[in-house]
Amino acid sequence: MAINKSRPKKPSKLSVYLYIPNIIGYVRVLMNVYAFAICFSNKQLFCILYFISFVCDGIDGWAARKFNQVSTFGAVLDMITDRISTACLLVILSQVYRPGLTFVSLLALDIGSHWLQMYSTFLLGKASHKDVKDSTSWLFRAYYGNRMFMAYCCVACEVLYISLYLLAEKPTEHLMDVLMSLTKEISPFSILVGLSLFGWAIKQVVNVIQMKTAADICVLHDINKKERP
Amino acid sequence: MAINKSRPKKPSKLSVYLYIPNIIVSTFGAVLDMITDRISTACLLVILSQVYRPGLTFVSLVALDIGSHWLQMYSTFLLGKASHKDVKDSTSWLFRAYYGNRMFMAYCCVACEVLYISLYLLAEKPTEHLMDVLLSLTKEISPFSILVGLSLFGWAIKQVVNVIQMKTAADICVLHDINKKESP
Repeated sequence: MAINKSRPKKPSKLSVYLYIPNIIGYVRVLMNVYAFAICFSNKQLFCILYFISFVCDGIDGWAARKFNQVSTFGAVLDMITDRISTACLLVILSQVYRPGLTFVSLLALDIGSHWLQMYSTFLLGKASHKDVKDSTSWLFRAYYGNRMFMAYCCVACEVLYISLYLLAEKPTEHLMDVLMSLTKEISPFSILVGLSLFGWAIKQVVNVIQMKTAADICVLHDINKKERP
Repeated sequence: MAINKSRPKKPSKLSVYLYIPNIIVSTFGAVLDMITDRISTACLLVILSQVYRPGLTFVSLVALDIGSHWLQMYSTFLLGKASHKDVKDSTSWLFRAYYGNRMFMAYCCVACEVLYISLYLLAEKPTEHLMDVLLSLTKEISPFSILVGLSLFGWAIKQVVNVIQMKTAADICVLHDINKKESP
C-alpha cells in the first residue's frame, strides 16, 4: 500500500501551542504572575523578574523567526502579556504614588491607544501596527521608521516605571517629591530616570497621535463602505 | 447647469465623529464604546485595589478583563464575525447559555459593575480587608447584602465565561494559522 506523502502533514492545535516561542510566552506569563504575587514583599526580585520577562519579549520573536514557528496565537499572547504586565505595574505605581491618578491615566492611555491601533490595523489589513508607513507626522515616521529609536522608547517606559517603583521607600510617596530629590542629588538612578523620561515622553506622545490616526482609519472605513454599497 | 444629485454625498470625517448616537451605527462608535467600557472598568478596579489593599485580587481581575476581551476581539476579526457576541458554534453549555440569552448576559455584565460599585461604597476606612467587608455583609442582612449577594452570582458567571472565552479565542488563533498552512 503506497503511503500518500504529497500532502504535507497539517500541524495539530497542540503542536502550535507547544511552539518554542509560545512556550517562552507561557514562561513569561508565569514569571509575571509570580512577580506580581511577591511585588510587595520582595521589590528587588519583582523588578528582576519583570525585566527578564521584558527581555524575553524580544527573545520569543527572534525564536519564532529562527525556528520558523511564527504564529498568530504567539503574536497575540505576546501583545496581551505586554499590555497586562504594563497595566499591573501601573496599578502598583498608582497605589504607591500620590496622586495615583497620574498612573491611572497612563494605564488608560496605554490600553486605549493599543486597542485602537490593533483595531485599525485589522481594518487596513496590515501585518502589524508597526508597519504604518503612510503617516504624515514627522514624529510618527521617526518613531516607526527607526526600530532602534522605537526600542529605546519602549524600554525607557519600562525602565522608568521599574525605577519609580524601586525608588519608593515609604508605602505612600509623592511623585513630585521623589522626582525632585533625584535632581538634588545626582546618582545612577538620577541618570537612569533622566534618560528614560525622554523616551517615555516620546512614547506617550506617539500613543496619543496613534489614537487619532487609528480613529480616523475607523471613520474612513465606514465612509468608504458607504461609497460602494 | 444641472446639479448632479444621483450620487449621495459622502459624509465628512467630522460628521461621522459627531453622529448622535456615535455608538452602534459606526465602526468608530463601536470601538469607542468598547474602549470606554474597558478603561472605565479597569480604572474602577484600580481604585478598588487601592482601597482593599494589597488588592491583588482586583489586579488579577483587571488582567482577566483585558486579556479575555483582547483575545475575543482578535479572534472575532480573524473569523470576520460582526461581533464577539455572535459566537454560536461553541460547545460549552455555559457559553451557549450566556451568549444565547441576551437578558442573562446583560444581567451578568450589570452584576459585575454593581458589585464593584457596591464594594467601593461599602468601604468606610481608607483601607479595608475584602474578606472582612464581605463577612460583615452576611452577619447583618441589609439592602447592600442582598445587592452584593445577587451580583456576586452574575459576576462569577461572567468571570468564568471570560476564562472560557480566552481558551476559545486562543483556539481560533491557532486554527487560523493551521488552516492558512492548508491552503497556501
